[in-house]
Amino acid sequence: MPNFILAIDTSCDDTSASVVSGRSVFSNVVASQTELHKKFGGVFPTVAKQAHRENIEPVIALALKRAGITASEVAAVAVTQGPGLAPALEVGIEHAKKIAVANHVPLIPINHVEGHVLSVLAKPKPKLGGTRHMLRNHTTDSEVKLPALSVIVSGGHTEFILVRKVGEYERIGWTVDDAAGEALDKFGRMVDLGYPAGPLVEQFAKQGNCSAFRFPLPMTTTDNYLMSFSGLKTAARKKVEELTATAPLKTQQIYDLCASFQYSVFHAITYKLNKYLSSLKSKSLELQLFGVWLGGGVAANVTLRRMLRETIKPYGLELRVPYSKKLCSDNGAMIGVAAFGKFDHQEFKSVDDIGDVERIPRWEIGKAH
Amino acid sequence: MHIRIDIATTPQAVVIDQACRVLSAGGLLIFPTETTYGAGVDATNQAAVDKLLAYKSRREGKPLSIAVTDQAMAELYVEVSDSAKRIYERFLPGPVTVISKTKGTVAQGVASEYGTLGIRIPAYPLILEIVKAYGKPITSTSANGSGEKRPYTIQDILESLSEKQKGLLDLILDAGELPKNPPSTVIDTTLETPVIFRQGNIAIEGAADANSASYASHSEGETQEIAQRIMLKHWDDLKSKGIFIALHGSLGAGKTIFVKGIAQFLGIQETLTSPTYVYLQQYDFNRHEVTGQLHHLDLWRMENPNMIDRLGIEEMLGLRQVVAIEWPSLASDELQALIKKHGVTFIAVQIEEKGDTRHITCQTLS
Repeated sequence: MPNFILAIDTSCDDTSASVVSGRSVFSNVVASQTELHKKFGGVFPTVAKQAHRENIEPVIALALKRAGITASEVAAVAVTQGPGLAPALEVGIEHAKKIAVANHVPLIPINHVEGHVLSVLAKPKPKLGGTRHMLRNHTTDSEVKLPALSVIVSGGHTEFILVRKVGEYERIGWTVDDAAGEALDKFGRMVDLGYPAGPLVEQFAKQGNCSAFRFPLPMTTTDNYLMSFSGLKTAARKKVEELTATAPLKTQQIYDLCASFQYSVFHAITYKLNKYLSSLKSKSLELQLFGVWLGGGVAANVTLRRMLRETIKPYGLELRVPYSKKLCSDNGAMIGVAAFGKFDHQEFKSVDDIGDVERIPRWEIGKAH
Repeated sequence: MHIRIDIATTPQAVVIDQACRVLSAGGLLIFPTETTYGAGVDATNQAAVDKLLAYKSRREGKPLSIAVTDQAMAELYVEVSDSAKRIYERFLPGPVTVISKTKGTVAQGVASEYGTLGIRIPAYPLILEIVKAYGKPITSTSANGSGEKRPYTIQDILESLSEKQKGLLDLILDAGELPKNPPSTVIDTTLETPVIFRQGNIAIEGAADANSASYASHSEGETQEIAQRIMLKHWDDLKSKGIFIALHGSLGAGKTIFVKGIAQFLGIQETLTSPTYVYLQQYDFNRHEVTGQLHHLDLWRMENPNMIDRLGIEEMLGLRQVVAIEWPSLASDELQALIKKHGVTFIAVQIEEKGDTRHITCQTLS
């Protein structure tokens, strides 16, 4: 019998649950997906009172059903403990505890950002039916060469994380204000693209010229790997105000603005990434990286992927990305993948100690609590 | 043990000599002014200032003022700006405290955490004579232990003191019962527009009221400093009621920067980042042994006012709690009702950008 882990993430808007075994994803259900809208009827506002409470049971039931198992077959329950929105985290933790107790299995609390970091390690489930026996040698990390540098880019996070080992992390750089994805969303609203505008900005940028408008490169004078996006946001707003002072934006102007702004946001990231990689090289530290990993909602953006590849290529590094877009935005599968190593090393809370597990809304990856 | 001198019956030369002896020995004296009784020590003597700070419990970053004889003497201790000069010319000596940037020539703990220092030139000849004879500024702060009623008689003061505080007194200059004049008008001249932080008997035209003031900021640092000043002004409200700050302004106006200033004031060490994605970030603070929480919210992504319930904003309001909300207009009716219900101090901040300057308007509404 393979060890199935039921993993739950309610860190922010989306309610998600997944079943994994090893690094193989057997199901990955996210409540903002259209299938659930249909299945459970009517409008499913991402932000609504009690949304997680209403979603969580059907989401878990669907995740189990798609994996073809019942709750009594899970070997452990994993749940996001933080960082995230406190009342949202609480719903996931409550339910995870309930299921763990009911089935006498351990609970594995997971850092949401660690989930994003390890999302690149997720694999699709084996193709053929009746393949459970194929999963026995699931835990080998032979193809995972470490240390690696993980780049997390999402609506809530923009971070460089050094992965020395699975489970051993060091934050190298982060944003001091807005997250990159947030900057893209906010820019999108300035040019009336609604919310969330990030994906539309990406689409429109393809039709635009990324050097049509110049935005400042932030944080160039700081001797660290910190990033900032709020100044870019202000610069973009001024530019939009200037352009719209006389006439509404023309279609091509919108495309050019999207391309230019998106480029500037990503350039702010690759600039600091390059700075870090070159410092590793010049100091000839003992640290040798074996790869760069990309995770987070904006990791689905192909322009970001291309710019990162161009940045790391001179260092002989390759970019590793999650196998599906669904693994980029918030999801339960990445929590399950992060939980698996801990399960093998018995880093979990047995049923008797479950009471200690409480939400940690600002849990920094690599820091103990 | 302290000595008590009745100034009506004692020759002035003796009073001045006694006061100077106490001051040069690092002592603490109580003296009359045209407003209330003040507590004075040599503002340049660290041990004496420490003694005064022990006497005035819970200063918590609020600046003390110093009494000087004239503008020339003031310039030894602070940068006197043009707007300050105009106030000196028109109102001093008199019941006005003029806040300027310190030159760092007084002892630690006299100036505020932000390097500001209040100057008093009291319209009380005896005190001017004492300062002149002593040759150094003396602190001029209300003689009550912090937070007690305004001291117009020596009895008012002694009744409010603990035995420990009484033990710190060295000399009392008793002038009987003083007329019940309000404390001095306090005006901050370090900002582009002078701002009145406390209104006394003197009204100053052209100055803004801190309860409805507009500040100009030319940098992120200045925006943060303005936020800190506003917090310092409302520190007592924060302890007794709690504070709700509504931040208005367009995308990129600097609302999060302002909240970073609040976090600095509260002594929060962590980097404060945008709460847009998770709606809410909470930070514990400990400022001068007062502990509480800063709740930083952003309703920009909110699609429906019911979110207020889900975020549990009501539970965040209260003593020693700061709730700072960006994009509050998305739920303004709900928020107004909560503020009213819980009686917290409500500060509305509007940040507008004109050219390279940000105009920060700050109104205290309840």
